[in-house]
Formats: sequence, C-alpha cells, structure tokens
Amino acid sequence: MSNSGDDVGPPKRVTDFHSISKASVGQILGLVEAVDEAGGTADVATISSEVDMDIDRLGPILAAAEFLGLLEVEDGDVRMTDLSRKLLSASVRERKSIVRGIIDDLPVFRRVTEMARVAGRPLDRREIVDALAASVGSHQAEEVFKALVYWGRYVELVRYDSESELLSLRTPSK
Amino acid sequence: MRGRRRALRFVAGILVFAGIVAAIASPQAALKALQLPLFALFSTSRMVAAYLIGLVFAIAYGHTAATNRRAALIMLPILDVLQSIPILAFFPAALLFFVVTFQGSAIGIEFAVVFLIFTSMAWNMAFGVYESLTTIPQDLEAAGSSFGLTGWLRFRLLEFPAAIPKLVYNSILSWTNGWFFLVASEVFQVGSSKFARPGLGAFIADAGRNGDVASIAVGLGVLAAVVLALDFFVWRPLSVWSERFRMDTASGRELAKVPRYEPFRWMPRFPAVRRTIIARAHPATQAYHRASVRLDRAYASHPNVVRDVRVVDLGLFVIVLLLVVTTGLIGLGQLFLRPLPPEAVGLPWAALLSFSRLLLSYGIALGWTIPVAVVLGESERVSRYLTPALEIFASLPATALLPVILGFSLAVVGSTGGAAQLAAILIGLFSMQWYLLFNLVAGVRSIPQDLREAARSFGLRGRPYWRRLLLPAMTPSLLTGSITAWGAGWNALIVSEYIEYAQRPYTVTGLGSLINQAVLVTGDTEVLLLTILTMIVVVLAMNKLLWRPLLKRAAIRYRLEV
Amino acid sequence: MTEPHPLLKVKDVTKSYFEDGKEFKILDLIRFELAEQDFVCVVGPSGSGKSTLLRILVGLEKPTSGEVLFEGQPIRADNPQVAMVFQSFALFPWLTVTQNVELGLEAQNVPLPARQARARKFIDAVGLTGFENAFPRELSGGMKQRVGIARALAIEPLLLCMDEPFSSLDPLTAQNLRDEILQLWSDPQLPPKAVLMVTHSIEEAVYLADRVIVLSSRPGRMVAELVIDLPRPRNRKEPEFYGWVDEIYSLIV
Ligand SMILES: Nc1ncnc2c1ncn2[C@@H]1O[C@H](COP(=O)(O)OP(=O)(O)O)[C@@H](O)[C@H]1O
Ligand SMILES: [Mg+2]
Repeated sequence: MSNSGDDVGPPKRVTDFHSISKASVGQILGLVEAVDEAGGTADVATISSEVDMDIDRLGPILAAAEFLGLLEVEDGDVRMTDLSRKLLSASVRERKSIVRGIIDDLPVFRRVTEMARVAGRPLDRREIVDALAASVGSHQAEEVFKALVYWGRYVELVRYDSESELLSLRTPSK
Repeated sequence: MRGRRRALRFVAGILVFAGIVAAIASPQAALKALQLPLFALFSTSRMVAAYLIGLVFAIAYGHTAATNRRAALIMLPILDVLQSIPILAFFPAALLFFVVTFQGSAIGIEFAVVFLIFTSMAWNMAFGVYESLTTIPQDLEAAGSSFGLTGWLRFRLLEFPAAIPKLVYNSILSWTNGWFFLVASEVFQVGSSKFARPGLGAFIADAGRNGDVASIAVGLGVLAAVVLALDFFVWRPLSVWSERFRMDTASGRELAKVPRYEPFRWMPRFPAVRRTIIARAHPATQAYHRASVRLDRAYASHPNVVRDVRVVDLGLFVIVLLLVVTTGLIGLGQLFLRPLPPEAVGLPWAALLSFSRLLLSYGIALGWTIPVAVVLGESERVSRYLTPALEIFASLPATALLPVILGFSLAVVGSTGGAAQLAAILIGLFSMQWYLLFNLVAGVRSIPQDLREAARSFGLRGRPYWRRLLLPAMTPSLLTGSITAWGAGWNALIVSEYIEYAQRPYTVTGLGSLINQAVLVTGDTEVLLLTILTMIVVVLAMNKLLWRPLLKRAAIRYRLEV
Repeated sequence: MTEPHPLLKVKDVTKSYFEDGKEFKILDLIRFELAEQDFVCVVGPSGSGKSTLLRILVGLEKPTSGEVLFEGQPIRADNPQVAMVFQSFALFPWLTVTQNVELGLEAQNVPLPARQARARKFIDAVGLTGFENAFPRELSGGMKQRVGIARALAIEPLLLCMDEPFSSLDPLTAQNLRDEILQLWSDPQLPPKAVLMVTHSIEEAVYLADRVIVLSSRPGRMVAELVIDLPRPRNRKEPEFYGWVDEIYSLIV
C-alpha cells in the first residue's frame, strides 16, 4: 500500500512503529473488545473508567490500536472500524492472519524483512539496530527492534533467537 | 571493544619483550622461570580438583538440608560453624593425618593440600545451594510437583537451574578463598620435616625464604595472570550466563536482602564470541539433549543412583566429621584431665594481641575503603578506570604477598620486631580490605537514584549527606563485608604472625604464632589444641554476639525498599 | 463395570494451621462435586482460603479432615489427569516456551517427536506460534499466561484448575484472555473436560462460569452454590448479568 519513496513519512512512520512497542496484542484486542461492548463507539473517558485503566496507561494502547487501523479516535470519541469488527468475530488463528496483513505493510517492517531476504542469511541484532538507528536515532532503535521482534514473532513472519541474537524470516503456518 | 583488544595486545607485547630481555640478562633465572607454567598447571589442577569435590559436596549437602527439614536442624548449625572457624589452624592436624595414612608419600600431601582447599571452598557454596532451593517461589515448586517432576528430572529442570546464580556467585568467592589457602599450603613444615609440592605457592614461598626478590616478582606475576585468565575466560562468561537463571522478581520472593557486588563487570561480555559459539553449537546442544534424555532414562531404570551418590557423599562427610569431633573430644578430655600447661596462661594475652592487630588492620581498611567505595559507587567514570586495577590487585591472595610485605616492612622499620609487627598488620589489612571495599561499592550502587537526587535537592551536602544517606545505606553491606573480612583476617593470623623470610623467622606474640611455634618448633599438641580452641571460641563469640545481631537489625532498619 | 464416579468429589474438606498450639481454621467443611462439562468458579474475598482449597484439590496439600476423590480415587499431586494454571504463571525462567509447554510430557516420558508435536499443537491453540523459542522474560504478561495455559492443556488433562489466572494481568489483557479461554473451552476437540477456577472477582466468575461456589471470609465456608444460566456469549452490560453479580455480592458482604 504505502510506498517507501513517499518522503513526508519515514521518520513519522517509524515513530508510529515505536508506538506499537508500548502495547501488547492482548491489550489492543482487549481494548477493541471493550469498545465493542460499549456499543461500538464511546468517549475515551467512559472507556477508561469501564476498563479501570487511567489515560496514562490507556493512551499508548489506544495509539497502537489506532495506528493498526483497529480504532478511530476523533474529538475524544473512540469508534470501531470494519477491520476490528472482522477481527472480533475471528478465531485466534484468523486474528493472527489479519494482523499479519497490517504488520507486513509497515515500511519499517518491510525494510527489515527486505534486508534479511537480500542478505539470504540470518541477520545479527546489531546489524538491524544499526540500520534502524540511521533513521530513528540510536535512542529509539533498540525499542523499535524489540517491537519488531515481538510483532514479527506474533504474526509468524520473523524468527528470532535471543541466545544467538539472530533474526531470520519464516513462513507462517497457514 | 576494539580499543580494549588493542590495549591487551600491547600489554602482551610488552610482557613478551620484557621476558626476552630478562632471559638474556639472566639465563639462570630464565631457566627457573620456564618451570613456572608447569607449576601454574599443578596449582590450578589442585584448585580444580578441590573445586569439583566441593561442588558435588555443596549440591548434596545443600540439597539435603533444603529438602529434609529434620536433617537441616543439624546440618545448618554445622555448616555455620564450619564457615566461621579459621580452618587454616587445622591444617597441620589434617596434614599429619594424610601423611600418616599415606605413609609420607607425595600422594598423601597432595590429598592434604586438596583437602585444605576444599575446606575453604565448600561451605559457602553449600549455603548458596541451600538458600536457592529454599527460596524457589512456591508456585514454581507447585508447578513442578503438579506436572510430575520428581527425582532426577526435578533436579535437572528445577532445582539445579534455580541454584545456578548463587552457585556461580559463590564459586567466584570460593576460588578467591582457594588461592589464599593453596599458596599457604603447598609448603608446610611440621616439626623438622618439610612437606612441599611443586606449584606456584611453593615457588613464591621458596623465593621468599631465600629472599630472591626477582623470583618473588615473577611468581606473583604468573599467579596474577592465572587468576585473571580464569576470571576472564571462565568466571566472567559464567556469571553473565547465570543471569538467565535468576527468578523473575515479579513472581518470586525478594532475593537478596543485602546488595551484592558483581566482580569483573569491566571484562567484556563476549557477545560476539558467545553468539558464534551458540550458532555453531547446534550439534553440541543436540548431543546434550540426547545425553540428558539418556540420563533421564538411566535414572528411570536405576532410580536409586542419585540417592546413593548423595548418601555416599554425605556419609563420607559424616564419617570425617565424626572422626574430627571424636579425636577433638578425646584430645580435649585428655587436655582438661591433666593440669594445664604453663603456656596456657599466656593464651588470653596472645588472643588479645592478635585481636588488637586485626582490629587495627580493620580500622585502616575501613579508613580507606569507605571513601573510595563512595567514589567508585557514585562516579561511573572513576569506577571504569579504577575498578579493573583494583580487582587485578585484589586477585593476588594475601598469602602470596607475604614476602613482599615483609620486605617492605623491613625497609620501612629498622628493628626486626617492629617489622614483624608491621608485616602482621599489613597482611591482616590485605586479607580484609578487598571484602570490605567490594561489598561497600555494592552498597553505594544500590542507593536508588531518586533517593540521591532527593537528598541533593534538599541541599544535603558534605557531612549531613554522609550521615543521612551514604552511611545508613552502606550499613548492611558494611556488615556483610565485615563478617567476611574478619573471617579472612582470622585465617591470615596463622600465616602472618610467623613468617620465614631470607632464612630467618619473624614472629610476634599472638595466637597464630603460638600455633606455628607448637607445630614447627615444640611439637606440643596440647598447646596447639588449646590455642586453636581459644581462637574458635573468640571467633564464634564474635559472630554470635556481635555480627549476627547487628546484621539482623541493620537488615530491618536500613533496607532500601525500591 | 464400575459405577460412574463424578470427576471430582470434595468430601467435607477442612483445613487448619496450627501455630503455638493454637488452631487457625482456614477452610470449613467444603463439599461439592464436579462433573464433565462443568465450568465452576470458586469466589471469595482475599484470604478466604481459595488458594489453599485449590492446592488441596490437586493434591499439593493434605486436608486436615475430609477427602478429595478424583474419579473415585484419592487425589495425588502428580496425577496427569489434572493440570494447574498459576496466578504468578510459574514458568521456568530458564526454559523456552516450547520447553515449558513440554514439561509435563517430559515427566511422563512421552517420546520426543510426540512431545514436540503435542507442544506445537497447544502452542498454536493459544496463539503463541512464533514464540516457540522465546524465553519467558521476552513475553508480555498475557503471553506468559498463555504459556501457562498451553503447558496445562498439553498433558491433555480431564480437569483444569486455575488459581486467579488473570489477576496479575492488566484489565484489557485479562479480558482478552478470558474470551480466548472461553473459545478454547467451547472447542470440543480440546481438553479439558472440566474447569475449576478460583477468583476473587465476582464479575469474572459470573462472566465465565456455569456454576459459582461462594466462600465466606475466614474461615472459608460455602455460603452458596449458584447455577449461572445466562446464555453465552455473555454481555457484562446486561441487567441479568448485573443481577447475578449483585446477588453474590450480597452473599459475601
Ligand atoms: N502454610 C500456612 N501456614 C499458616 N497459614 C497459612 C498458610 N498458608 C496459608 N495460610 C493462611 O490461610 C489463609 C488463606 O490463604 P489463601 O488460601 O492464600 O487465601 P486466598 O487465596 O483466598 O487469598 C490466609 O490468611 C493465610 O495467611
Ligand atoms: Mg490466593
């Protein structure tokens, strides 16, 4: 979808990728479920009190869900999207493949998987962090890398061994 | 990383060059120095042998004490006593036992040396295993039980991994202790017979006896190199590896009440090497996997093997202990049935003198370690440059420094008696100071940044800053450091109060010299036994009446909740 | 041949601790039965002895009096038909996800290929495929508990016991995991045959259970046993749901 030549974006997108490093799959799905239970749309304050989490903790999760296209936030109102409706009615397996579609389209993720594909060998953590540091700064590179491994593993596109610190690609099991 | 490697290469180059120059200048000394690698190998082998025995013992003992509550009632106090008494004092007796048993053969002496090193290594490791096993989170134990982990499998998957962090940590301590004892034990005299086994310790001691300064220096250099190489290639990687066996603090109870010092942090973690090894080690891990599966199966068909090993091991320990205790009791009985020998009158005085010297050493050690620890703990930059130098220096056991310290004392103080006094105090200082320093550094580092900033922002500076923040925060680690330091100090007495240097003895009045006199000169076992007894009573009294109560109070009052 | 036993039969279980000769009663005369297809929750305030009860039910602790029968036999801790999920996850930090899940199978001497296949199946069922070689420290709380669940399911137990499995999770993760547990539960292909869960959250109990056993605070006594006949999926906003929650509330307070 998005093309990486589009130059307004890279730093901003990378920062966004950084934003999903602050939330786990379970939290994002839990939030979507909560919005669904509240009738598919609700204001943030209501959700916050419903799920008993203050805005400080809810914020990053909300941002991540928005970034993944699962929720829309406008004027303090949270709304479900078609994608999240589809996600909720899906099984554990199908949820994965839906999220895979989203993650696989993120430029940063693309860049790293492309790196691995071109190299034709497992990549060292160091190599990837260095490459990321070039675009996001060394400060965020580690976090982005962590998020990359987390989401990459979840959608079964990435295999990472924390012992050898080697990252390689994998084909999802259906 | 690259800079460090270049620096290492540079240092190595200088050493090789210096070696070549020295060899040309003095071919005779060079020839002698050629034996050194062999000596180093012998000494290290003794250490390894003692360590392996100690490891098996520690696991068996700690495991039994942790899993059998009734056995623990006896086993823990025994361990406590063993850990706190100055074992070096028993060495002559142990040596005699082995020499007599093996009729004076070299094997007997080797056994004696290894046995002595073992006694300096085993107890704290056994405590480490016991502590680890009793602090496994309840849920993890329950998970093990409800998923059917029993016997060997439980040991392999749950208990042994849980003990690894403390085992590695205590192994490093044990090796430090071990070197101290090795150097003291490779050469020993009982009466007129001299027992010596070739090794680094014997080499240094001989050089000292002959006043051969060049050989002393070379011997010390090699010893330091061996100790550091082991730290570099074995202990540092092991302690990095052991981190993964730490319990998640979120799911476990609080682990350490007193902050711990992690040695050799400045050494590289070898990430690249580790990664390559792991990447290439696939066949090895597979082999390990197969082997452990085979072990599991072997265990399943001989379920009693592990138990038998433990029973044999502990049985041996009990036999040795009973032997020691009964001979001790018989000796004591005889001792008190007869009138006390005239020397006994001097014992309290000797004890007081020894204690005063140690107190002086301790005071000096505190005097310099507290400020230095604060600087090291607070300044990342100073610590980065100073810590390696200090740790390298600390790697030399005080026993190996005997000749150097005495030579120094002679140069400073004119009179023989004065030099002996100074040497005794300095050796005490060298055996005590490092334990204090490194524990204190850990204490300072454990102060949360918030607390420090709060203190600063309320304008605490100078004395109030020390009194209100630094000193209280350091108290628990000061106490643990002090306990270890005094333990080492009492052991050092045996070697520090009677030193042979350049063919003549330098002695001061004290418990240590009484023991040496009794062994070396008079052969009076009664005095020997009485002296050892006095020493044990003093040490145990100090532990029970001073350190333990203090530590307990400090643990409650000064704990830093994070 | 044998007459049908209930899966689990709890007969007048009482538990006391003794300190300085004084008796502290924790549980008093607990009795209930569990049949196949039961999803039962035990609710009670903190300190009412729920964890103790669960530990007794799986054989980790002995009751002071009374007994626990599993398919007619006294329960044993290493019974492979009963599996346990813990509040603190209780994962072995030095084992990977796969190795953790294989734990019970290894203890049962299941041959390696079968073991790996079974682990793979349940890791996939809880949505952890992709994390097979990760260590627990690399996982978020929700994923850790998924490992705990996969490890329990992997031994294909008849009875699954859970001690506050969602209490260490943040509310969102917890809710997500509750729904996934129900998804797994509704799949007849997957074990277990019955679930017994302990919780202090009344809402959670009403959301999940077919039957709720209510304990009073110390000592834990059975105050009521209620059959929750709300249709699934349940909506926590509906008045009927709240009716149940309020009723249990009034029983405890
Ligand atoms: N080993 C023990 N010795 C003494 N009291 C205990 C022991 N284990 C638990 N208790 C007590 O039993 C009570 C119930 O504990 P628990 O079963 O953990 O309750 P819950 O899980 O409902 O919070 C608590 O008050 C606790 O202090
Ligand atoms: Mg509980």
